Amino acid sequence: MGKKYKLVQKVPKTPKSAYNHDRFISQLIENQIKHFHELEKGLVKAGEKLTDISKIKTELHASKYLKKMTALLHPQGAKKPRKATQRKRARRAMASKPKSKQARRRSS
Amino acid sequence: MPPAGLDNLKHIVVLMMENRSFDHMLGGLMKKYPKINGLTGNESNPDANGTVVKVQPNAKFQGQLDHDPDHHFPGVDLQIFGGAAAGLGRVANMQGFIKSYATQGTSAAASRAIMSYFTPDQLPVLTRLATEYAVFNGWFSSIPGPTICNRAFAHYGTSFGNVDMNLFYIQDPIKSIYERMIQAGHTAKIYYYDQQSSTMEIVNLLKNQPQIFGSYSQFIADCKGNTLPEYSFIEPCYNDHPGPGAGQILASDQHPDHNVQEGERFIANTYNAIRTNPQLWETTAMLVVYDEHGGIYDHVVPPACESDDYSAPPEKTGTGEAFNFNRLGVRVPAILISPYIPRGTVIPGPEDANNGLVFEHACIPGTVTNFFLNNYDQRTSREKNSENFLIPLTNALRPDDDCWVFDV
Repeated sequence: MGKKYKLVQKVPKTPKSAYNHDRFISQLIENQIKHFHELEKGLVKAGEKLTDISKIKTELHASKYLKKMTALLHPQGAKKPRKATQRKRARRAMASKPKSKQARRRSS
Repeated sequence: MPPAGLDNLKHIVVLMMENRSFDHMLGGLMKKYPKINGLTGNESNPDANGTVVKVQPNAKFQGQLDHDPDHHFPGVDLQIFGGAAAGLGRVANMQGFIKSYATQGTSAAASRAIMSYFTPDQLPVLTRLATEYAVFNGWFSSIPGPTICNRAFAHYGTSFGNVDMNLFYIQDPIKSIYERMIQAGHTAKIYYYDQQSSTMEIVNLLKNQPQIFGSYSQFIADCKGNTLPEYSFIEPCYNDHPGPGAGQILASDQHPDHNVQEGERFIANTYNAIRTNPQLWETTAMLVVYDEHGGIYDHVVPPACESDDYSAPPEKTGTGEAFNFNRLGVRVPAILISPYIPRGTVIPGPEDANNGLVFEHACIPGTVTNFFLNNYDQRTSREKNSENFLIPLTNALRPDDDCWVFDV
């Protein structure tokens, strides 16, 4: 935090031992996977095999399937978000680029 | 004239966490803050042998509820009605929690853990937010059942007659709050944590309207860049998975048996993203709420509610009786955050016969729709008549140095 604040509450770190991607999936994640599997049936191309979701037992397995399916539907989710300043700079750069002959003809 | 807190409001942010009851997370606050309807310490449940077991301030961050407590419709029915069979005349008594947990393959001793609650110092983030801003004594899950159908109420104002985790398709003319906002020229987004965790809103929204989604890192960037939409819904991380480099990403949803501390850190980070942008801080109201109680004890009997015109047949409820969506699920933590909320605000619930208000997840699309869209009709009357969760906002803006920041 750059700015100094008067009232600051410290938040403890989570112990490293909390992490366990081999944990068996909960019914919540099981159902999340079932819902994606339903979508997969409509997305799989001829000759492609549908995922055998009965083999998805752990949170690690689940995360791989969820990433694959989410990437199909929302590939933007993997991109590093562009900051507003980057978008502004990009727009300014586009605006200052010399116009093509076509664009000059159109605007005259 | 609306209060300044409403007049200046430009953004509403909802963060919905997982599976913890009000008493489990905030019940311990009542000793120091008596207006909060928490625990006296004398609340109890009988175990499978009939031994009376009181609530205990011995909740653990992880490893205590490793058999996921039952939060499906029949299990919650047992928890609320103590085991009395469905039918006329039975009375809700909140006496079936240990009996229910004992059916999960837990030992008699382990089943008592369902009565555990956190002491305030164990949850510094939730405690700070609940006592600094507004806590709702009477926010209930919309259905006495599991996640998917409860979250549906937050997105659509109804679960279209579903009381379980099966997929369902939305029915015209009901639209999600996101579609309503966008079609009216407003902005709205669902931010899921990352692709490996994804969203719980799959076959309707992710499939048909992927453009309304963003990642959590996008949320952080949008807060920094002042491009936050008018309405944002945030989903925590639902699973442990490898991160960039050799990193590890911890689940932050607080669903048992994920570590509760990581959820605290996630709530703190989300709050900080808004809090540390002065422009955003003064124009945003953030709601932290839980989707359902996760099978964990709460002492408040869920009240009746207006039906949303759907009915679930006995073969769906599993209790031998149809459910007409005319009573709510178990109470959950709900906190509204804004610099226009006086410290220590408590919105009374059913414990206050004169002033108590009842909230549930249909209030989310209800409030957001009423605030941004005025006269929008295509929704259930239950949603239209739901309470406005922005009521804690006042005219008085707290000075910047009177509002906390988290050092995460």
